[in-house]
Amino acid sequence: MRRHFSTRATTAATAAVVALVAAGCSGPDGGGEGGGATDAEGQTLDVWIMQGTNPSADTFFDEVGAAFTAQTGAELNVDFIEWADAHDRFVTSIAGGTTPDVAETGTTWTPEFADAGALAPVGDHVTQAGLDGDLVEGLVDAGTYEGELYGMPWYAGVRALVYNTEIFDDAGVEPPTSWAELESAAQAIQDEHPDKIAVAVPGDAEFTVYPWVWGAGGEVATLEGETWTSQLDSPASQDGLAFWTGLAEQGLSSAGATTWRETDVLDAFAAGDVGMAVMGSWTPGAILEANPDMEGRFAAVPIPGQDGGIAPSVLGGSHLSMFSTSENQDLAFAFIELMTTGEFAEKWGEQAGYFPGQTSLLDETLESTDPLVAPFAEQFVDGGASVPVSPAFGAVQARATTSTMMQSILSGSSDVATASRSAAEEMTSLLNGGS
Amino acid sequence: MSSTLPVTAPAERGTTSAGAGGRRGRSWVARTRPWLLLAPGLVVLVVLMLWPLVRVFLFSLQDYGLPQIVSGEQEWNGVDNYVEVLTSAQLWAVVLPNTIGFAALAVTATVALGTAVAVLLASLGTLWRTVVSSAIMAAWAMPAVTGTYVWIWIFDADRGVFNHVLQTLGLQDQPVNWFTDRWSFYAIVLLNVVHHGFPFVAVTVLAGLLGVPKELLEAAEIDGAGAWRRFFSIIVPQLRQVFAVVIIMSTIWDFKVFAQVYLMPGGAGTNREVLNLGVWSYVESFGQNRYGFGSAIAVLLTVMLLAITVVYVRTILKEDEL
Repeated sequence: MRRHFSTRATTAATAAVVALVAAGCSGPDGGGEGGGATDAEGQTLDVWIMQGTNPSADTFFDEVGAAFTAQTGAELNVDFIEWADAHDRFVTSIAGGTTPDVAETGTTWTPEFADAGALAPVGDHVTQAGLDGDLVEGLVDAGTYEGELYGMPWYAGVRALVYNTEIFDDAGVEPPTSWAELESAAQAIQDEHPDKIAVAVPGDAEFTVYPWVWGAGGEVATLEGETWTSQLDSPASQDGLAFWTGLAEQGLSSAGATTWRETDVLDAFAAGDVGMAVMGSWTPGAILEANPDMEGRFAAVPIPGQDGGIAPSVLGGSHLSMFSTSENQDLAFAFIELMTTGEFAEKWGEQAGYFPGQTSLLDETLESTDPLVAPFAEQFVDGGASVPVSPAFGAVQARATTSTMMQSILSGSSDVATASRSAAEEMTSLLNGGS
Repeated sequence: MSSTLPVTAPAERGTTSAGAGGRRGRSWVARTRPWLLLAPGLVVLVVLMLWPLVRVFLFSLQDYGLPQIVSGEQEWNGVDNYVEVLTSAQLWAVVLPNTIGFAALAVTATVALGTAVAVLLASLGTLWRTVVSSAIMAAWAMPAVTGTYVWIWIFDADRGVFNHVLQTLGLQDQPVNWFTDRWSFYAIVLLNVVHHGFPFVAVTVLAGLLGVPKELLEAAEIDGAGAWRRFFSIIVPQLRQVFAVVIIMSTIWDFKVFAQVYLMPGGAGTNREVLNLGVWSYVESFGQNRYGFGSAIAVLLTVMLLAITVVYVRTILKEDEL
């Protein structure tokens, strides 16, 4: 799908060349930053946005385009990209020098593209706009590579424990606040509904695994100097993994879940077959879309820690990144600022079911009392964490290191100690640039 | 510049009378004429086929990843990529056995089933031949991705038809996840690939079957040859080239199986026991932006398939000449 806000391609191109020359003349510290951005008449800014995050993205970007043109005089050209093809499209466009000016980049991709030299740092622009300290820390961490900020925090979500209130009522249990409670609740559900899945333990969903590692006091990987060491095989991590996979071993999950991805968990939960599962803050909308009958029949709580408290969960989200091929970086940042702060950031978060990346906006969201927003917000603020920030973490994900470990434990072909040891070895090697 | 010479030469000669130089020119033109006529096709082949092949070979000698793409720098590392591929324990223990074993089974099953269906089609009347060939065309026309999802759904642990039937018949108490075991995983892939691949064999062999002279078969029948004898002694030798083509094509396809494995639960790399060459090279190279390493695997796969093809062509077609 392609939307054009500009039909004046030729004049735009001519003007862009003129602007390029003009931009080349002004120094990076020039005081006229704002002037450059607000007087971009005739230019066009190319932007890539991921498809499927916000159901009303079309109207949203119509409004953003109008506001952007009013503010800067430039036209906005938004292309929607499928998540599944996005990585390949970025790589090919980087190779061909045809990258857009600004694009939405998944938080784990930002360090990778920055490492490749494809992104322009935005830290100076952020300081100039007075946004230092007003950005969500987890997202800033994920977008920082070698001390420079490359990804502007835009939105994020977090996974928490979503449960089916009807099944919980039938079994007469309360949402768990510790691992012991979680296990006994699952047992009670299993006794009441032997044909249901008390707790879904998916084998191909790495982000549902890390909370149990962290909840037991373990770590995914730690950085010391220049060297990463995976801690998946530390006693604490193994403790967490043993609890989570042990639920499946006791028959509280299902054989099918061994090869499930998060989408399969969602399908089964939406069908009313699952008592509880680790699911994202963006899923309630999808559950209702798949099965409107679920309205009012499910709720969420933060993922319990081993002996109470909250087990940390990954903040997954997107940055807006500026590509180094962008000809008018002031204009590009004007768009980024428009999108990631204030009215539009708030609106995007509401429509898409995500939390904004600006702290001052987040505070408003936190006051929400919606039973499908408040628990996620609590998890977001008090139990947000990040996977290792390294351009090599993409390689760990591509190898499916964590999912391989989970699947081999769940299918019974390996035990927690052996599987976690080989996963840790592989992750350590990959994070340090090995293969 | 030299390539324009033959084109301009005849034009010049047309305006002057033929002389000694003209005759020499004519013989030169006569010698190059076939190449001139082939030129457009060759140019297209060189641009679309040969150049990418050369590029892949060049990449395979480099450490070629995202940073190299962005900077445009070349980091030659000789045969390092090849050494890494060939010394990988996983390649020899899992990937190659899976790939070769599966291809051998799949090619045998596809060709056997395809030939059987072709014989059936040849013996049917027009109406039923149309009905049966339409039915198998549907299997052929189904995209690999769609077909794979149908098989996944059939064998799904919790809601699949297969487990449901087994449990209804009392053959198993608990649902079984058929995708976690190496053997049952590949049994499902085999069903999928054979189902998708046999129509091509059936249609191609049918075309050959209809070309076998009726007189030969009648003569053999009069001589007292039964159906099996007629099939193996007359039809199969007549169809040698056809079988050469379908076997080579099936071998190439079944070696390169990707979507049918990658899309299966656990097939995308989370179950290391079921990796095949296609998925392994994708996970190890593209998934990690190591395009040089992936190119080395691609070059090796091409060489391997070329070798298999040469052996086939020599054994099958050489006998024919004798």
